[in-house]
Amino acid sequence: MDVTPRYLGAGSFLSRRDPRVLLLVPVLYLVAVAGIVDLRGVLVCTAVALVYYRAAGIPWRGVRANWAFMLIFTTVLVVLNSILTSADTRSGSGTEVLFTVPVTQTAITWTTLSYAFTILVRYVSLAMVGFPVAFNIAPSDLGVAFARLGLSQRLAYGVDLTFRFLPSTWASLHETVDAQRLRGYEHSRSRNPVRRLLTMRPVVVPVTVNALIDAEDTVNAMDLRGFGGRHRTWMRELAFDRVDYLILGGFTLVAVVMVTAKLLGLTGTVWVP
Amino acid sequence: MNADAATPRDPVLAISSRTVVFGAVGAALYAVLGLFSFFIPGTQSVAVRPAFALVPFFGKRFGVIAGFFVGLVGNAIIDLLQGYGLTYWNWSVANGLVGAIAGLIFAYLPPISRESVRLVVTALGSLLATAIGLLFVITDIWVQGNGIDFKTFLTLNYGPALLADGIAVVILTPALDAIWEPLSKRTGR
Repeated sequence: MDVTPRYLGAGSFLSRRDPRVLLLVPVLYLVAVAGIVDLRGVLVCTAVALVYYRAAGIPWRGVRANWAFMLIFTTVLVVLNSILTSADTRSGSGTEVLFTVPVTQTAITWTTLSYAFTILVRYVSLAMVGFPVAFNIAPSDLGVAFARLGLSQRLAYGVDLTFRFLPSTWASLHETVDAQRLRGYEHSRSRNPVRRLLTMRPVVVPVTVNALIDAEDTVNAMDLRGFGGRHRTWMRELAFDRVDYLILGGFTLVAVVMVTAKLLGLTGTVWVP
Repeated sequence: MNADAATPRDPVLAISSRTVVFGAVGAALYAVLGLFSFFIPGTQSVAVRPAFALVPFFGKRFGVIAGFFVGLVGNAIIDLLQGYGLTYWNWSVANGLVGAIAGLIFAYLPPISRESVRLVVTALGSLLATAIGLLFVITDIWVQGNGIDFKTFLTLNYGPALLADGIAVVILTPALDAIWEPLSKRTGR
């Protein structure tokens, strides 16, 4: 397993944008689609999300496992919550009962199906604007992007530092597992969650303690270099260009239109064809 | 004063190089170990993530800010690695709140010298922090826009998450704390 963030969209239209754009767009998109239960409204937003996703240039081969996981997880969630049980459903004009779920006795109508499909499409479209955050921002840009978004300079540096620690932490985990295996450690196959957790102690505890002991050296090195003594500067300079403003303006417009439609009650009813 | 009388601590909300480095180390640990989880048999989607125990542990040992950072950034990185981006940012904030609340709880607890009592208090304090912090996922009602009601939130979101994470913190957080206690005294921290 690769724990290093993958910069799959390098060189694409979106990866040439200021990383703050890629962080702000999902927020604006979330505002736009939250609470919309009309499939037509969600489909319009999804079209925008699809164009945005295509601009990310993320190779399918690199993310098909992520999409498969996401689609399976989301589909199970939606089928379970909105179809098999009545945990998350809505009423609407399509009240004709198509069939009844055998065990839960949930009555399935066109409204139920339309609402479930709306939720599924919404999750997929959220993933479309979310994937570029994962695959189109160079890991080294995240710290400065958060700093320029107003996060404390020290915490922004902490974000930077976290990404630098990932490979060494992963290597340490492997070393520890191998060392413990030489001492007879075997990962539990028990179905008892408590027993499984207890058998993970010989791995979790030494990996954590080793990382903490090593961290003391890093703290001392940073203190010796006067970390946090004055305002921090960053090697990478960020500046919005005209295209960045256009993208942000476009998504702001989508958010304003959808929120207005929601307030006017235009997207608050489940659409039944 | 925290639960360990010998351990001096910075002001609760101070951000020193120590806070930053230990927060970053904790977030990296949480991100790496957090990729491993297993389902509880008999439930539909309750996955125990053993690494969650790190969140209250860092909150207790390294303070409110470090605890919040570990939960927030660690969970966000797990989501990034799995390709979700920041879609479920409110769950990351909830993780962060668990660390921050654990930091607050243990910062104001009186010192406890008996190890067995200290470990029990660590487990209970971590469980309490988890129970309070995860309440933030009630924002799913608005953020994900599902229109789920409070009962659904309790039975499908909060309850399973509390059960899974509660098991992890009760078992592993005291174990981590017991090991770190003599080491922290040795380093004078």
